[in-house]
Amino acid sequence: MNGSIQKISFQLLLILAIFVCFTPLLPGLLGLFFSAFSYIPALEMQTFSLTGFSELLLWPGLHKSILITLFVSLSSTFLSALLAFSILQSCWNKAYWHKLESLLAPILALPHVAFAIGFAFLFTPSGFIARILNTLFNDLGIANWSLINDPYGLGLILGLTIKEIPFLLFMSIPLLKQLNVNSTLISAQSLGYSKAQTWQKIILPQWLPKIRFTLFAVMAYSLSVVDVALVIGPTSPATFPVLIWQWLNDPDLATLPKASAGALLLLLICLVLLYLVRFIEWLTIVKCRSWQTSGRRALPLAGKSTLLVTYVISLTPLPLLLLWSFAQRWPFPKLFPTHWSLRFWQQEWTFLWGIIGNSIFIALISATVALLFAIVIHEHSIRAIAARNRFVVPRLIISIPMLAPQLSILFGIQVATLFIAHQYYYLWVIWAHIFFVFPYVYLVLDGPWRSYEKRLDMVALSLGMSPFKVWWKIKRPILLPTLCIAWAVGISVSLAQYLPTLMLAGGRISTLTTEAVALSSGQDRRISAIYALLQSLVPFFFYFIAIFASQKTGIITNQNTVNKRSVAHHVPDSKKSDYY
Amino acid sequence: MKKLIALFSLLLLTTFAQADNINWPEIEEKAQGQTVYFYAWGGSQDINNYLRWANKRLQAEQGVTLKHVKVTDISEAITRLVAEKSADKNSNGSIDMVWINGENFKSMKDFNLLTTPFVENLPNWKYVDKSLPVDSDFAEPTMGLEAPWGVGQLVFIYDKNKVNNPPQSHSEMLEYARSHPNKITYPRPPSFHGTSFLKSALIELSENPDVLYSPVDDKTFQRISAPLWSYLDAFHQVAWRQGKQFPENSAETLQLLDDGELDLAISFNPNEVFSAQANGLLRDSTTAYALAAGALSNIHFLSIPWNSAAKEGALVAINFLLSPEAQLKKADISVWGDPTVLQSAYISSSMQKTTLFKSISEPHPSWQNALETEWQKRYGH
Repeated sequence: MNGSIQKISFQLLLILAIFVCFTPLLPGLLGLFFSAFSYIPALEMQTFSLTGFSELLLWPGLHKSILITLFVSLSSTFLSALLAFSILQSCWNKAYWHKLESLLAPILALPHVAFAIGFAFLFTPSGFIARILNTLFNDLGIANWSLINDPYGLGLILGLTIKEIPFLLFMSIPLLKQLNVNSTLISAQSLGYSKAQTWQKIILPQWLPKIRFTLFAVMAYSLSVVDVALVIGPTSPATFPVLIWQWLNDPDLATLPKASAGALLLLLICLVLLYLVRFIEWLTIVKCRSWQTSGRRALPLAGKSTLLVTYVISLTPLPLLLLWSFAQRWPFPKLFPTHWSLRFWQQEWTFLWGIIGNSIFIALISATVALLFAIVIHEHSIRAIAARNRFVVPRLIISIPMLAPQLSILFGIQVATLFIAHQYYYLWVIWAHIFFVFPYVYLVLDGPWRSYEKRLDMVALSLGMSPFKVWWKIKRPILLPTLCIAWAVGISVSLAQYLPTLMLAGGRISTLTTEAVALSSGQDRRISAIYALLQSLVPFFFYFIAIFASQKTGIITNQNTVNKRSVAHHVPDSKKSDYY
Repeated sequence: MKKLIALFSLLLLTTFAQADNINWPEIEEKAQGQTVYFYAWGGSQDINNYLRWANKRLQAEQGVTLKHVKVTDISEAITRLVAEKSADKNSNGSIDMVWINGENFKSMKDFNLLTTPFVENLPNWKYVDKSLPVDSDFAEPTMGLEAPWGVGQLVFIYDKNKVNNPPQSHSEMLEYARSHPNKITYPRPPSFHGTSFLKSALIELSENPDVLYSPVDDKTFQRISAPLWSYLDAFHQVAWRQGKQFPENSAETLQLLDDGELDLAISFNPNEVFSAQANGLLRDSTTAYALAAGALSNIHFLSIPWNSAAKEGALVAINFLLSPEAQLKKADISVWGDPTVLQSAYISSSMQKTTLFKSISEPHPSWQNALETEWQKRYGH
């Protein structure tokens, strides 16, 4: 009796989750298709045509823009994966690792745009590094070259790589905790493998499939990013998503089909690249695996210095932003502001509280709901795969909100809300946030959920526990670190949403991000600095809680306690690594 | 036949104008308690603060709440209006007032996203300086669909301590760049300031600028615009970053001027230099000037979407923003410094110091797109 109620409520929850997370795709994609094929009745375009596509292909510089975008996306994804792995190899389980974990919070919390602004301020010809050089060597003058906006996208690659490394590290923490790295290392080293060889030949092949979906997200992000590319990306031509963004914002409404055709093409490119990443993984892990078993070569990876560079570049923007927010005047080549002022904080202070309250309210609701739905859909998928005959939600559909340019999907969604009842602004905004947050939360849960040791459940079930009780008493506590992290990621993604909030709230709801983005269009570094700081402060708080909680929960052996090592050595290795 | 259509449309217009010619006290009464959602660019803290002030005054005097919805680009509002039009939402829309001009106005006018003509019904219309081109927006007739709010003039900013004789024309600018390589550039078209720079240069370089005031013709475009491209070919060789990179907008040129990377910054507000000095963005030795031939000038406007839910409130708000009190405050260089659109008789003496430069009017809007496309083809990749 009890069991069937649980089953029914699970089914209802599943239906609700699918409804909330996927129905917006329908108007979203329809809107995109219709406008790409020039069907926009409101603009007196009432027949389908390929004009948008032909205008797109005729645009001078299109192929160059696409090539640069591909180059930036692939190299930053590859580099961040490689460097993140090298850091894990060098630093995992070192005495200072847990301090590093906590230090990830401020970097992760720093929004991409704020990071880009800080990054630019370090590296422009009048930036902080140039100022230091100018102080050391007199009168160097200003270089007529810049890493920022450089035509090959090198600055963008560096910026994205450095921003994604901490994210990959963060996502690897729960994965590696499940992999029993310590016992693998002990076994492998007793067989005569060095530490580097163990990491590269044994742990890498296990890590890569688990981190796959995260890499997809990193790649999709680097492929479709607009705000960061606007600040530090190339301009002649700009990267492809930036071009689409500019067309979508063109005052001449007749460019809408061209922009939508571009968005569709970008979605297509994204799919191709996803399969490419998957193919490369398959090639190295499954097809050409001789490197794993033959030879004793291990690449020398400079993990520690990479870590240092990552931390220095990621953390210096924070004090710089703080300085800027109190600077009245800070001319080149001064190392510190020449005039200070509290004016900018004072002006904003009274308006901030309502805005912060709104932002947190929306973020908490949407992240919590998205987390619940992601758990439900993961649980369903695992059972459906085990049963082999039920419907599984395709990954691709889950990831579309992450991959497609938001503006192009949102237009259709906006029209749909207008048809229903657009005045429920909070409802639509929260729904849209759930829609865009869900894939990220799902992705954080993906690796840990799939590698969860199912035998634990079987044992518990065989001892007579109900499925829900098994989940609550066994699976939930083990996966709690992941759940905390997923929740924090969800909150930070929600806090960063600009377009969904703006477009569906009709100006009725303002958040830190809508304010920050609107203000940043004026390029006043001092005001942008205030909002960038606040934009980081709120997610920082939640990341900090999540990291703290994830260190205190989960499998006992992985918990960060004082006598951790002694415990670890005495617990018998009950579970052989999946690899063998 | 043509005359008949003209007559008919004229009749239609007058009936529209009459239909809206209701008495003002009634509008003010209806406006009581309304909230006006005003979509406007939110990138300048000076402007945002000015609108916060306007809201306070409107609440106190008229019971109207003015809510500034900050956008990075007004096209975000237009996208929403297109969506509302697609959904046949012809009343109770979410946008009550917009700040626009140029191409955005043309788009909204062409796709009927604006309310009926209203400008002449505003009590404060009588103060407006009709000698300014307030009835045309980038050569597009406004037909009373939008009310003028302020004046923009294309000016250049330089540091008196660094540059003695700033270039007085686009040709002098080229000479200046030859003797001071890497120090001059313009924002990248199709940004507003970048395209304005192209238009200003073409007006100066072209043998017969009059053709620029009628719609662009594909057959003659290359011939007419040729002097501009040969000018830019030469200019880019000595420009900042060899013309391979450009600043994104006016604000970036100000930053680059202050950093010492550029000798000239560009702005559409003749008084921006003062507010920039006041808030520490520029040195006190900077000053603004227009080219000898005059400054490319345009007016920015306020308008009301066709489906606004608070039309009366929006009318009251626009009327207030046109009042001498609000215009005076706006023109104050410690507030915003945007030149007024009112006749000088209605503004106090302290304000009259901020005189306008000799003006050159904007070419026909069709040139905008044509120049941007050609620029993109030649230099954009």
